[in-house]
Amino acid sequence: MIEARTIYIMAYRQIKRFLRAKSRLIGSIVNPVMWLVFFGLGWSSAFSSPMAKMVFHGLDYMSYLSPGVVMMTIFTASFIGGITVIWDKEFGFLKEILVAPVSRTASILGRALGDMLVALLQGTIILIATFYLAPSLKLSGIPLTILAGALVAFSFTSIGIAIASKMRSIEGFQILMSFVNLPLLFSSGAFYPLDNLPEWMKLLAYVNPLTYGVDLARWSLTGVSQITPSVDLAALILLAIVMVSIASYIFNKATIE
Amino acid sequence: MARREVIVVENLTKKFEKIVAVNKVSFKVFKGEIFGFLGPNGAGKTTTINMLITLMKPTAGEAWINGYSILREPSMVRKSIGVVFQDSTVDRYLTGWENMWIHGVAYGVPRRELKNKITRLLRFVELEEYGNIQVKNYSGGMIRRLEIARGLLHEPEILFLDEPTLGLDPQTRAKIWDYILDLKKKSGMTIFLTTHYMDEAEKLCDRIAIIDHGRILAIGSPEELKNVIGRDVVYVKVKEDAVPAKVLAEKIIEDGLALEFNIVSGNTLSFIVEDAYRFIPKVFDVANSLKTIILEVKYSKPTLNDVFLHLTGRELRREEGDWKDTVRTRIRMRFRRRTL
Repeated sequence: MIEARTIYIMAYRQIKRFLRAKSRLIGSIVNPVMWLVFFGLGWSSAFSSPMAKMVFHGLDYMSYLSPGVVMMTIFTASFIGGITVIWDKEFGFLKEILVAPVSRTASILGRALGDMLVALLQGTIILIATFYLAPSLKLSGIPLTILAGALVAFSFTSIGIAIASKMRSIEGFQILMSFVNLPLLFSSGAFYPLDNLPEWMKLLAYVNPLTYGVDLARWSLTGVSQITPSVDLAALILLAIVMVSIASYIFNKATIE
Repeated sequence: MARREVIVVENLTKKFEKIVAVNKVSFKVFKGEIFGFLGPNGAGKTTTINMLITLMKPTAGEAWINGYSILREPSMVRKSIGVVFQDSTVDRYLTGWENMWIHGVAYGVPRRELKNKITRLLRFVELEEYGNIQVKNYSGGMIRRLEIARGLLHEPEILFLDEPTLGLDPQTRAKIWDYILDLKKKSGMTIFLTTHYMDEAEKLCDRIAIIDHGRILAIGSPEELKNVIGRDVVYVKVKEDAVPAKVLAEKIIEDGLALEFNIVSGNTLSFIVEDAYRFIPKVFDVANSLKTIILEVKYSKPTLNDVFLHLTGRELRREEGDWKDTVRTRIRMRFRRRTL
């Protein structure tokens, strides 16, 4: 009972905060739209030859890119959501939670759930937008795409929480974003196929939860998969469980020292 | 009737690497009293609170809050207490009401009562009209009041207040004092507070522990502590034509009129006496007999600052912290303004 209550209020808080911050709402949508329009349309015209289509497993570039941008939106939103624990640390709210008679695991779960819903909301808006830009996408793929998005969001918000619980100051935030955000995005197969990548980058791709999310979303929306949908799903579930466990373990040990 | 002990602390110690922040601190707090830790910055006040509210593990020693061990039953301790931290811990993006609501649900206040309680407490701290405004638009004093209201929402046995009026303007401070005294009067709440303001400790506390360098130097009511020094302090300024001031002072001690004297400056003496009203006329008698003229007589009750001076040989420092603290606070404020 107490656990359910804690999960509920923590999720409530994340969602309330997001809806209140209008600039975040707009910013979270503008960025992926820019990618779709300028990056997507730009490369679509360059890749319009039949040869190029073969590189993208028979898809036009816009259809290839769209599932990737949807996942990118969800990934960025959830990861930043998790990292905002550092702001709670800096501005004190974390103490209010640490001193409350609630289970830390429940408050992490609630937070992750809230961030996940926020990220999914953003992802879904972008998903709808992609259907205008890439009309060949399959409407029937939406539910599975959202499931993939939920698992990706849950994993990355957990990673964010774990990292933020260990971080001592907000100064490291920008560096962290450059070191984590871009490599994960570019090695996920969101923008280009993984087939002919150098071995080390392939390795990175396979340990990257985002890779499986992108692949599963692409498979559901276009039918093209570079891994296997069932492997994607299993990997995503496993990663979500592992990541939330790590986050909960670290957060349980968090003190204010 | 025996008074119930709601906080019992035994030899509580906290070391940070080589620094001993809290050194074998022991004390008791009884139900319904306001107990204060008075000491300069860095004396170990906040560290002690952090251990008592289970946010830090002590290096040694033990404490019981409301009968529960801080080491073995932290979640029962957390249920028994309300905490108002030195820095704000509210969510600035949420409204005052929402902050209260989250707190109430987390602490398991029954939903039926929660709404009424929030309204009543917001009224108590005079924030009723501001309940639906985001906290980022509140002033420092309003945030502190909101946090006091929030700390009371789950009806804790003990309320912890860490420097409740730090950084507030005089009017807001007086207002916060009123709330605290009101709380004690109306609900018999036990309150543990820390402060480095003497006036605050004197105004609010039933009993005070004077703490410096992690050690408790004295515990008692403000009156008891001041009595450590003696009853009154009298300052006498003389014209040193006939005899030096010191001669007068020695004569006074010789006659058994004062307990102790100090030369404050060349011709000003301070005497610690049992009773200033009876002492002052006699000073004139002695001065007359020595043909000395008294220019000025001033008398004061000893302050807690005199007590601190007596116990440590230093004045209770008045500054807010060292320059690094100041810089850090300023940077943080600027950052806050920029990002939020």
